[in-house]
Amino acid sequence: MLSSSDSNAELAVDQLTDTRDVLPTLSQRLRDVFRGAPKFSLFFLAVALMCTLFAPYIAPYSPVSTSPANILQPPNLSAHWLGTDNQGRDILSRLIYGAQTSVKVGVFSVLLAATAGTLIGLVSGVFGGWIDRILMRITDMFLALPYLMVALTAVSLLGASVLNVILVIGLLRWMGFARVLRGEVLKLIEMDFIRLALVAGSSRTRIMMKHVFPNIINTLLVLSTLEIGLAVIVESSLSFLGLGVPRPMPSWGSMLRDSQQYIYLTWWFPVIPGIAITLLVMSANLTGDWLRDRLDPTRRQL
Amino acid sequence: MGRYIVKRLIEGIITLWLITLAVFFILRLGGGNPIEYMLPPEASQADIDKLTQAYGFDKPLIHQYWIFNKKLLRGDLGDALAWDKRPTIDVVWDRIPATFQLATASMLFAVVLGVVIGAVSASRPDSLFDRVGRITAIVGQSMPVFWVGLLLILLFSVYLGWLPSAGGIDRLGWKGIIMPALSLGFFLVASHMRIVRSTMLEVLESDYIKMVRAKGLPTRMVIWKHAFKNASIPVFTLFFVNFAALISGAVVTETIFAWPGIGRLLVDSLILRDYPTTQTVIFFAAAFIVFINIMVDVMYAWLDPRIRVV
Repeated sequence: MLSSSDSNAELAVDQLTDTRDVLPTLSQRLRDVFRGAPKFSLFFLAVALMCTLFAPYIAPYSPVSTSPANILQPPNLSAHWLGTDNQGRDILSRLIYGAQTSVKVGVFSVLLAATAGTLIGLVSGVFGGWIDRILMRITDMFLALPYLMVALTAVSLLGASVLNVILVIGLLRWMGFARVLRGEVLKLIEMDFIRLALVAGSSRTRIMMKHVFPNIINTLLVLSTLEIGLAVIVESSLSFLGLGVPRPMPSWGSMLRDSQQYIYLTWWFPVIPGIAITLLVMSANLTGDWLRDRLDPTRRQL
Repeated sequence: MGRYIVKRLIEGIITLWLITLAVFFILRLGGGNPIEYMLPPEASQADIDKLTQAYGFDKPLIHQYWIFNKKLLRGDLGDALAWDKRPTIDVVWDRIPATFQLATASMLFAVVLGVVIGAVSASRPDSLFDRVGRITAIVGQSMPVFWVGLLLILLFSVYLGWLPSAGGIDRLGWKGIIMPALSLGFFLVASHMRIVRSTMLEVLESDYIKMVRAKGLPTRMVIWKHAFKNASIPVFTLFFVNFAALISGAVVTETIFAWPGIGRLLVDSLILRDYPTTQTVIFFAAAFIVFINIMVDVMYAWLDPRIRVV
């Protein structure tokens, strides 16, 4: 008896080691998750995030202290790697602090837009009828607004601050979420598992939260990532027009605004902040494209 | 078909009316009496009171909105506070041709370049040309309009000295429109290119193209005569949708290049705190977008009768 149970145990252990060989290791799993990932984009997003969180520890100089003796210095490796601006401020340090503005606005405005858009899309799709009609009419109205004009107007009236920029962009960009997610919900509603839930007596609200919402999370994630790039561009446009983030807090858009007058004297001042914006937007877009291919293959573009 | 058009027009009017409501309340977000921040700080209380009454800002918000609607029905959007106190409709109307010129020029640039690059890319997928084109499109779509403008100034005005850095077709002739149109149209090149490429690739896979090829037509004819015609439908839609998006982009471009259109008018009006003009600019831009959307819908309904039923 004893020996047979021993051999059973041995057998079990043997099987265990076998399955351990079959199961993917952590590194294999990670490799699988990041298959086909745009490595450079993820890397740049990570860098921007680090700058956002740890700007005071990374930046070599203060982003706001001026130095009249050092204005418009070209990039050099001894002191100012990316040169200085019209007030002698270190451009690299301002870029690092400027990442804070862009990332904050990008993330939080999209969070707001996604929340509002998801709620409206869900309610519209699940409840249907006149609720749907009213919500979609409102969505159409927002879609017909020239959003940059309205954003400029609203920010100039509310006062320029990071919070106001986030609120305004968030409240002007939820329509894409509402439209696409409503379409997704309408497809789901027709499916058997939702009908079964209805027959089983679930309320509409319960169906919406428990059965429909988990099925649109992938699309939501993809849309959010793609929308971040646009939010970053809108923020930099507002700052470029002098109505975004108040000075002297650095924003990539307002750096470009400052550079406009010195364009005949320097090339690095109008070029470098633009590269930063482009890289951030491109990284967000490429990451979104990759997520779409991984999570939501029906929307794949050529 | 007639009924469908009427239905869409009514929906469009409702949308526009909802927009006036939204804009009306957005402009009152600042709170308080708008006259106070429209006048210089040294203005006397008597002046403030006079203007407040003249504009009806002393009445409750709902009442103001009622007056606004009554005026709106008569086609009166109020008088400007700046711009010689003229009716805002006239002020905006004067600026529309400049924006229209700019939008048309950049659209032309975007469509021609985007379609050609997209079609050539699709005819030689994964060639060097295709790959360079796709990378350019990805980068191009990520560049903010105003930075493209600055780069163009840096290249053409500062280094080459070919073009003036501030536009206005009246003062500078055709040379003045090149850089504003290029910077505004730049990101559209990318979107046109992508859509032309993907639809062309789809069309090129279809049976009738294989048939035409089998008949022995030269590739040039296959691409431009047969494939392109069918691939141009989405381009057509994109054209109209983007035309509306251009209005937003125009704000930035017009500001950089001192272009006298409605985008610049909006920014100037905001700086001057001329709030009736701001309202009218947004109203016109929105009306334009609504109109374009109806046009697209009607055209679709005409092309595809199934849509009319919905």
